[in-house]
Parts: sequence; structure tokens; C-alpha cells
Amino acid sequence: MAEPAPLGSEAPAAEAAGDFLDTAITRPRPGAAVLGVQGEVDTLTATLFADAVAELVDGPEPTLVVDLTGVTFLASSGLAVLIQGAHRAEKRNARLRLVVTTRAVRRPLEITGTDQLFDMHSDVHDAIGGDD
Amino acid sequence: MSDLDGLSPAETLDGASTVEVRTSASAALIPTIRAVASDLAARADFDLDAISDLRMAVDEACATLVDVAAPSSTLQCTFLVQSERIEVHAQVRAGHPDAVVSTDTFGWRVLQTLADDVTVHHEPGAGGDGPTVGIRLDKRSGDLPR
Repeated sequence: MAEPAPLGSEAPAAEAAGDFLDTAITRPRPGAAVLGVQGEVDTLTATLFADAVAELVDGPEPTLVVDLTGVTFLASSGLAVLIQGAHRAEKRNARLRLVVTTRAVRRPLEITGTDQLFDMHSDVHDAIGGDD
Repeated sequence: MSDLDGLSPAETLDGASTVEVRTSASAALIPTIRAVASDLAARADFDLDAISDLRMAVDEACATLVDVAAPSSTLQCTFLVQSERIEVHAQVRAGHPDAVVSTDTFGWRVLQTLADDVTVHHEPGAGGDGPTVGIRLDKRSGDLPR
């Protein structure tokens, strides 16, 4: 009997990942870039997330924000991406700002102590405010 | 298949119930398993942080095992729900004879932080089979000083 293929089994993980994670970088004001993320950040989608964070951090803006409001799950692979992003930002004397409103994101950051690496904000307007 | 140390439903402790989930050992199916973990914890009156922790711990354990699993093999995940705690056993048949779960990774440290107890098991395979690799973790329902 032919069984239906499990979701994603035929496609490389990176291809399937786009179904579960959306990322977009916006520039709401000069000098500020915001990476908006929607979906689940786990082993399937971590590479996509890493690419988006790298693009944000390698951009020219002094104010770098990752808006995690739409993230419904954050695995250790996602935490690792954020930590890498923080280190990369640090090298250019920037500090990543995270917008965190849900337990699904706040809990993993807090229980691992990872939140210490970031400026934490509860909304985007607050996060993009100020220079530097 | 090796058993799970006598975890058949008939042998579980009084007041405990067992849920077993088997999937292809594919990362694409881990969201389903972690959803089961989350649901069981919610029904067992875990506090919200403990539900989040268990969901993440199960995800981490399964992702670790899928990484070493043989192609087209099965991921078996058993939840033993007891009053005030859930014990989880996840295991796969490994693809290589010397496959091990490395415990010096960031993911493993996170897993240790999330669970109240976590251990890894390796059992040599019989015949031509690869070894069985398993992770057992324990999570209490909450109210733990941290």
C-alpha cells in the first residue's frame, strides 16, 4: 500500500521551511531596520531564520530590531541564531533589539539567560525609538 | 525493537497514563510530536511556563534523535503522564554503528535547563541493525524555585 508521504519528506528542508516561517525586513525610518518574523523557528526553519538575521545585521542601519511578535515557537536552534546575530552585531558596535510579546518566545529566552544579550522591547515603536 | 524498560501500559504506575507517538524519523513531523507534548501537559494542569518548557524539551530531544536516525526509520516517543510530572522517552534506530548523541552542544545544555532530569541511552543494535539511541526526560508540572 502506498502511504502518503510525510509532509516535507520529498523536499529539502530549506524548501519546505518557507511554508512555516515568513521573514521580511522593513525600514520604518532612516537608520532603523526591522526584521519581522512569523511562524515557528525550529530545526526546519532555522537556516531561513539565520539568513534573514544575517541580512539584517550586515545591513548599514545602526538600529537593528528583530520583531518576534508573530513567532509561535522558538527552539534552541532559533536561540542559537539569535545569539550569533547578537555577536555579529556586537562586532560592529550594535546591539540587537528584540520585540517579544508572547510566552512562546519570552520563556525560552529567559530560562536560558539568552535575553541578557539583547535589548528587550514589548512593541516595535518602542524598539525603533532612539538612535543607537 | 528494544522495549522501553517495562513501560507497557499494563505495567505503569498507579494513576499514570501512557501515550505513545510513532512517526517517520523526519524533522517535518516534530511539530506534531511537540503539539502532543504541549496538549498532554496542558491537560495535566502544568503551569504555562512548564508547558512551554516541555514542548521545547521534546522538540529538542526529537531533533537531536532525528539527526542520528537511520533513513526511513521510526521515531518513537512515549509520554508517561503522572500526577505532577510527565516522563518522556524518545528513541530512534541510528544510521551508523557508532552513532552517539553528543552532550556537549548548545542544544543539549538547553535541554538540561528545560527538563528536571535528562539522560541519553545507547544500546548496541542486534544483527545488522544500527544501535538504538534514546533520550529520557522528566518534567514536573511547575512551582519549582529556579
